[in-house]
Amino acid sequence: MQLEDFIQQNRSAFEEEGPGPRVWAALEKELPVKQRARVVQLMARHWWKAAIIVALVVNAGLLVKFLHTKQEVAYVLPEMEEMQVYYTSRIEQKLDELGQYPEEQLGLDSTTRKELQLRNETYLLLEKELMSNPGNERIRAAMVRYYQMKLELLDKILSEQEKYHHITPSNKKDAL
Amino acid sequence: MQPFSPFAVFNMSLYPNALEKMPVTDQIVVRCRKGDVRAFRELYEAYARAMYNICLRMTGHAADAEDVLQEAFTQVFKNLDKLGSDSSITAWIKRIVVNHCLSYLRKKKVYFEEVGETDAAEEAAVDEGAYALTVSAVKEAIGQLPDGYRTVLNLYIFEEYTHREIADMLGITESTAKTQFMRAKEKVRQLVKLKTKEV
Repeated sequence: MQLEDFIQQNRSAFEEEGPGPRVWAALEKELPVKQRARVVQLMARHWWKAAIIVALVVNAGLLVKFLHTKQEVAYVLPEMEEMQVYYTSRIEQKLDELGQYPEEQLGLDSTTRKELQLRNETYLLLEKELMSNPGNERIRAAMVRYYQMKLELLDKILSEQEKYHHITPSNKKDAL
Repeated sequence: MQPFSPFAVFNMSLYPNALEKMPVTDQIVVRCRKGDVRAFRELYEAYARAMYNICLRMTGHAADAEDVLQEAFTQVFKNLDKLGSDSSITAWIKRIVVNHCLSYLRKKKVYFEEVGETDAAEEAAVDEGAYALTVSAVKEAIGQLPDGYRTVLNLYIFEEYTHREIADMLGITESTAKTQFMRAKEKVRQLVKLKTKEV
């Protein structure tokens, strides 16, 4: 029998046990996660800035998903208007408060600032869909979600600002 | 109206189904890239035994095999980002391990030098029926081979690289790789035969 055939046929018999525990013990000390941990530590104070972007992007994705699953349930529009007036005023009030902090103190980049504006691209998309399908429950729910999410994020940013800088704008109102 | 917390969103994956459909090792790689310590452990456990066996065959020493394995995995962990999505992770890890074994051998001044052309028919010179191959005899014989022969034989039979690939790894010509392999095999046969007679 050829040597290679014999080895292939008895392959498992040629295998030894695995390495001793010292190999993993040494590897564990050098894992490339430590560097990441330092980055995470650095980011810890500003985690909410990253969170805002993630949340806004995810929410935009969810809204698009909502819009693609249409449901024909009739709802009355005046309810919607009432809801819009309520949330719009709350959000604008929060945006005003945020506007009173100096930009360098807020540390928000232009993308985040743009996303935080009341009528951002997601809003315009929702508004357009709502106009063409006024009775669609899913678009309605998506709009409410959009408002609530934005409001909560603004609250979070404002409370972080207070926590770190102990400066409250003069017209600070009760949180949501 | 249900209150909506933005934090609920953080528990959701952007692509919740994508990860589930991936093969297990690909999932581990994704988690390693995120810095998940447990994923590194799982990746190591999945390959440690097979890769240690390569090191053991190539170095011939348990302690050296562990050292080489450790160095190789350090490189694997550091370079996971460079692993292409289409590449086989097993082949990639194995190649890193083999490369570390070869550099260990080079440090030991093992040369895979050119040898004169020999007749490939010399393989047929041994009387096949005169002895019986046994696992322990073959193992022992391979262990007694000079480092150069052992390397070529291991790469071809156990690691299943082609003569062309072996030649490229060792910096020798394909025909030298073939010749070295034939001679290594011949040597194993002689050693096994000797062992059989002794018994």
